[in-house]
Amino acid sequence: MGAMFTDLANFITGGSGVNILYFMVVLPAVLAVLTVIIPRDSFIARSICFLAAALADLILAIALFIDKEGSMLLSWTDFEINLAFRVDDFSSAIVLALAIFAVLVGIYSVSFLRKKEKYGQFYCYYLLTLAMANGAVLADNLVVLLFFWEGLMVTLFGMLVIGDRQKPATAMKALVLNGIADLLLMLGVAATAAQAGTFMMAGVSQLPIEGLGILGFVCMMAGAVGKAGSMPFHSWIPDAAEVAPLPFMAILPAAFEKILGIYLLVRITFDFYQMVPGSVMSIVVMAIGAITIVLAVCMALIQKDIKRLLSYHAISQVGYMILGIGTALPVGIIGGLFHMINHVMYKCCLFLTAGSVEKQTGTTDLRKISGLGKLMPITTVCFLVAAFSISGVPPFNGFFSKELVFDAAWESGMVFYIAAVLGAFLTAASFLKLGHAAYFGPLHLPEGVKAEDVKEAPGAMLLPMGILALGCLVFGLFNRLPLSVIQPIIGEGYDFSGWPHSITLVAISCVVLLLAVGNHIFGYRRTGEGLKAVDHIHYAPVLRSIYNCAEKRYFDPYDIIMVLIKGFAWVCFGIDRAINWVYDVLMVNFIGGLSSGMRLLNNGSVDRYMVWSFVGIGFIALLCLFFV
Amino acid sequence: MSAGLEFVLLVFMGLPLLIVLINNLLKREIAQKICLSLGLIAGIGQMVAAIVVFVSLNAAGQASVDFSQFWNLTAGASRFSVDFFSLLALFCIGMVVTAGFLTAGKTIGDKRFNFTNLAMIILLGMNGIALVTDLFSLYVFLEITGVASFVMIALNKEGNGIEGGFKYLVMSAIATAFILGGLAFIFMQSGSLLYSDVASALSDWQNVDQPALLIVAFALVLVGFSIKSGIMPFHGWLPDAYQSAPAAVSVILGGIVTKMAGVYAILRLTGDIFVGVNLVNQILMLLAIVSIVLGAVAAITQTDFKRILAYSSISQIGYILLGASCGSAIGLIGAMLHFFNHATFKTTLFVNSAAVETATGTTEIEKLGGLQEKMPVTGVSSILAFLSTAGIPPLAGFWSKLLIILAVWQTGNFFIAGLALFASIFTAAYFLRLQRCVFFGSAVEGLENTKEVTGGICLSSVVLSVITVGFGLLFPLVLLFVQSQGLI
Repeated sequence: MGAMFTDLANFITGGSGVNILYFMVVLPAVLAVLTVIIPRDSFIARSICFLAAALADLILAIALFIDKEGSMLLSWTDFEINLAFRVDDFSSAIVLALAIFAVLVGIYSVSFLRKKEKYGQFYCYYLLTLAMANGAVLADNLVVLLFFWEGLMVTLFGMLVIGDRQKPATAMKALVLNGIADLLLMLGVAATAAQAGTFMMAGVSQLPIEGLGILGFVCMMAGAVGKAGSMPFHSWIPDAAEVAPLPFMAILPAAFEKILGIYLLVRITFDFYQMVPGSVMSIVVMAIGAITIVLAVCMALIQKDIKRLLSYHAISQVGYMILGIGTALPVGIIGGLFHMINHVMYKCCLFLTAGSVEKQTGTTDLRKISGLGKLMPITTVCFLVAAFSISGVPPFNGFFSKELVFDAAWESGMVFYIAAVLGAFLTAASFLKLGHAAYFGPLHLPEGVKAEDVKEAPGAMLLPMGILALGCLVFGLFNRLPLSVIQPIIGEGYDFSGWPHSITLVAISCVVLLLAVGNHIFGYRRTGEGLKAVDHIHYAPVLRSIYNCAEKRYFDPYDIIMVLIKGFAWVCFGIDRAINWVYDVLMVNFIGGLSSGMRLLNNGSVDRYMVWSFVGIGFIALLCLFFV
Repeated sequence: MSAGLEFVLLVFMGLPLLIVLINNLLKREIAQKICLSLGLIAGIGQMVAAIVVFVSLNAAGQASVDFSQFWNLTAGASRFSVDFFSLLALFCIGMVVTAGFLTAGKTIGDKRFNFTNLAMIILLGMNGIALVTDLFSLYVFLEITGVASFVMIALNKEGNGIEGGFKYLVMSAIATAFILGGLAFIFMQSGSLLYSDVASALSDWQNVDQPALLIVAFALVLVGFSIKSGIMPFHGWLPDAYQSAPAAVSVILGGIVTKMAGVYAILRLTGDIFVGVNLVNQILMLLAIVSIVLGAVAAITQTDFKRILAYSSISQIGYILLGASCGSAIGLIGAMLHFFNHATFKTTLFVNSAAVETATGTTEIEKLGGLQEKMPVTGVSSILAFLSTAGIPPLAGFWSKLLIILAVWQTGNFFIAGLALFASIFTAAYFLRLQRCVFFGSAVEGLENTKEVTGGICLSSVVLSVITVGFGLLFPLVLLFVQSQGLI
C-alpha cells in the first residue's frame, strides 16, 4: 500500500526522491493554509477540507503502519543538516496514533466549534500541529526534529491566543515554559550532536551517558518531559483549560503532547543514549515521574472545575509514563508506552465529555452543575468508562498499564512504588468526587439554563466519545492487541499481555481502590455533598495551608521565574541607571569642568603662555633624562 | 631632469615672487582690482604645478628630484628637493591659498593689496619649508613665513588682531631662539646641516662625544617646532591668533601655515633626520596624545566658532604627530594623509566660519542658530567636514585616522591607541555642539533674513567638500598607489 503511494509521489514530483513521508508533513500543512483561504462564511467547505486533511493523514499513516519502512533524504544545506525522514516500527505506530486522535477530535471539533468565531484559525493551527507532529516523529535528523518541535510551540501559542485574544497571558505563560523546555532541548541536541559527531540520527546511537553525554541526555530529557507536560513545565495547562477552546485541550495537552513527549523520551533513553536500570539518570527520571504523579494529583483533588481538574490529571498521569520509562526495565518501558496510549484515549474521552457538558450547560464549574446523568446518559456512560480507566479499575485499559508500571516501580524502589500507589488512590478519590458531583445527586443547573434545554450532545460529538470509550474497554479486555504493537519496539521475546502476573500488586491496587471508595463515602457522609467528599483532605490541618499557598500560585514555576526575572530586571535597571549616571552626569560634569578650567587658563596673557612653554620644556627635559 | 620639469619647478619659488613684483609695480588703483585674481593664479598654478610634477615623477619612476634655483648646486650649501610628501604639502598649500583668496573676495575689504603681498610672501615661505634640504634654510623660510603671518593677523590694525599677532610674535621668537640654539648644538656634532649629513651623524647618536649636548639639542628643536605647531602645552597663542585674525587670514593661517611651520617640519625631522632616534619618538607620542585629548576637551566649552576650530586644530595636529611618532612607514603615511585631510576639512570649516561671519556678522555660536535652512551649502559642507574630522567612514578623515591608530597599535602602546580612538568621541561632541548651536533648530531672532553667501566662499566650500568625500571614497586607490611605491 505504501509502495503505491510512493509510486504516486514519484509520479507527481518527477522522481525527486520525495515520497510518502514527505506528504505526511506537507499535505496537512498545505490543507491548513487552504482552510483559511476558503471564505469565512462557508463553514461547511472549511470543515470538509479540514476533515479531509485529517482523513488523508490517517490513510497515509495506515499505509506507513503496514509497510513500517521507508526513508527519504533531501540535502538542504551543508553540515549534514538534511531534510531526512525515516519510519520504523515505533514511529509508524506513533504516527498512526496521532492520525487516529486527529480524526476523532477533528470530528468532535467540527461539531463543537459550529457557530463559534475563529474556527478557521483553529482548523489551520490544528492541521499545522498535525503536520509538525508528523515531522517531529518521522525526522531522521536532530536539527529537523528540533525544527518541527519548535513549530509545535508556534501552533500551540496560536491556538491559545485564539481563546484569549485580548490578554494572552496564558499563551505567554505556555510560550515561556515551552520555550524554556525547547531551549533545553536545543542545547541537548547540540551537546548530543557534538558527542556523536553527526546530526543524522543513524549516527546517534546508544551513546554513553558520561561527560558531555550527561548534558546532552539531561537537556534533551528535559525538553521531552517538558513537552509531555511534566513538572516543572506543567503550570500553563490548567490555565489553558480555562481559556482555550475545549478541543484544544483534548488534542494538545491530552493527546499530542503526551504522545510526542513520551515518544521522544523513549527515543532519548533507549535509542540515542543507553540508560541502564539503577543508574543515576534512571533515578532522576523516576524521581521526576514520581513527584509529578503525587503533586499534580494532589492539586487535581481539590479542583472545582471539570477542565482544571482534568488538566491536573493530564499532568499527573504523565508521571506514570515517565516513572515507567525511568525504571529502564522492559516491563516499565512497555508499561509506560501502554499507559501513554491508554491515557490519551481516556483523557481525550474525558475532555470530550467535559466539552459536551460545557456545550449544553455553558459551564464546567462543579459548583453550578450536578445530576446531569439523567439528562445526558450517553455522555455519562462514556465518562464512567473513561473514569474507571483512569482510576485503574479492572478490566479497563488503565488498570493493565498501571499494573505494569507498578510492577516496574516495585522492582526499582519502594519509594517510587508508594508514590505511584498514592497517586492511584488520589486519582480514584478525585474521580469519585467529579463523577458524583457532576452526573449524580440532585439536578442543579446554572441560573438561566432550563432543564428541558439541556439534552444529549449531538451525534458528531458522541461518536468520538463513544469510540474512545469503547477503545478503553477493548484495550483492556484484549490488551494483547496494543501490546503486540508496543512490545516489538524494545525487542523480541517480551510478552506482558493477559492478566497481570503479580497477584500481590493486583491485590494492593484493589485494596487502594476500595480505600478510595471508603474515603469517598466517609467524606460524603460527613458533608452530605459529592463535591465536598474530599474536603477532609483539603482542609486537613497542615495540608490546608499548603493548598492555600498552591491556590495562590506560590509554587507555580512560571510565577517563580517571573518574580526572579522581575528581580533580575530590577537589578539590571539599577545597573543601567548607574551606568547612565556615569555617562550622563559624572562624565559630562568632569569633562565640562576640565574644559572650563582650561578655558580659564587660556586667559590671553602672553606671560602665562610663556610660563607654560617653559614648564613644557622642563617636562620634556625630564622625559629625556627618563628615556635615556 | 627634463628642461620642462625644471621650468615647472620654477613655479614654486618664482611665481609668488613674480606676483609680489607685479603687484607692487602696477598702479595702486589697478593693483587693488586685480590683486586677488593674481593671488588665485598663484594658488591654482601651484596646484597644477604640483600635479604636473607628481605625474612626471611617477612616469619617470623617480621618488624625488633635486634642483636649485637661486643657489649654485655645485657649491653644496643649499639646494631643493621634491618628493611625494613635499608635493602633497605643496598641493595642500596651493589649495588652501586658493580657498583663502576666494574667501578674501567678500571679506577683506580695502586691505586686499596688502593681503595679496603678504599672502604671496607666506606662500613663498611655506613652499621653501616644503622644498629645502638643510636645517638652516628651513629656519630662514620659517622666519619668512612667521614674519609675514604676524603682520597678516594684525592686518586690520585693530586691538584684537594686534594682540593676537603680538602673542604669535613673542612665542615664535622664543621658538626661533630654541630652534637656532638646537641647530647650533647639532652643527657642533655633525659639521653640516644638510638633512642627509645630520641623519648619518646622528644615526649612532649615543656614541658621539657629548650625547648630553645632543639630548639638549633634540629637546630644544622639538620644543621650538612644538611651539610653532601649537601643540599642548605650547598652544597658548594659537586660539587667540586664529580668533583675532580676519576671516580670509584665518583660512590660510588655520588651514596650512601653522601646519607647514610646525607639523611639516616635525614630520621632516622624524622622517628624514631623527630616523631611529627612539627618544624623540617617545616624547613626541606623549606630547601628541596630550594634545589630542586636552585639545578636544578644551574645545567642548568654547563659545566662538573660530576658537572651537582652533582647539580642534590642536587636537588634530596631535593625530598627525602621533602617526609620525610611531617611527613606522604606515604611521608616517597615515600622518601625511591626515595632514592633507586636515588641510581639507579644517579649511572647509574656516571657510564656513567666514561664510557665517559674512552672513550674520558674528562668530559667537550662542548668538547663532537655525542657519541650516538659510545657508544650506554652508551647513552641509560643515557637517561633512566635521564628520570627516571625527573619523566617520567613508569620509577621508576616517582612513587616515585608521592608519594612524593602527600604527600606534603596532608599536604596542595599546593604551595610547585606545585613548586616540576614544578622543574621537570628544571630537564628535564639540562638533555636534557647534552644529546644533549654529545650524540646527529654528532661526533665532534677528537672523530670519540671513542669506546664503555666494561666489568664492560658496565655491570653495563645495569644492573642498567634494574633495573630502571623493578622497574618502577613492581612498583604496591611494593605498594602492602607496603600496606600488613600496612604502608599506
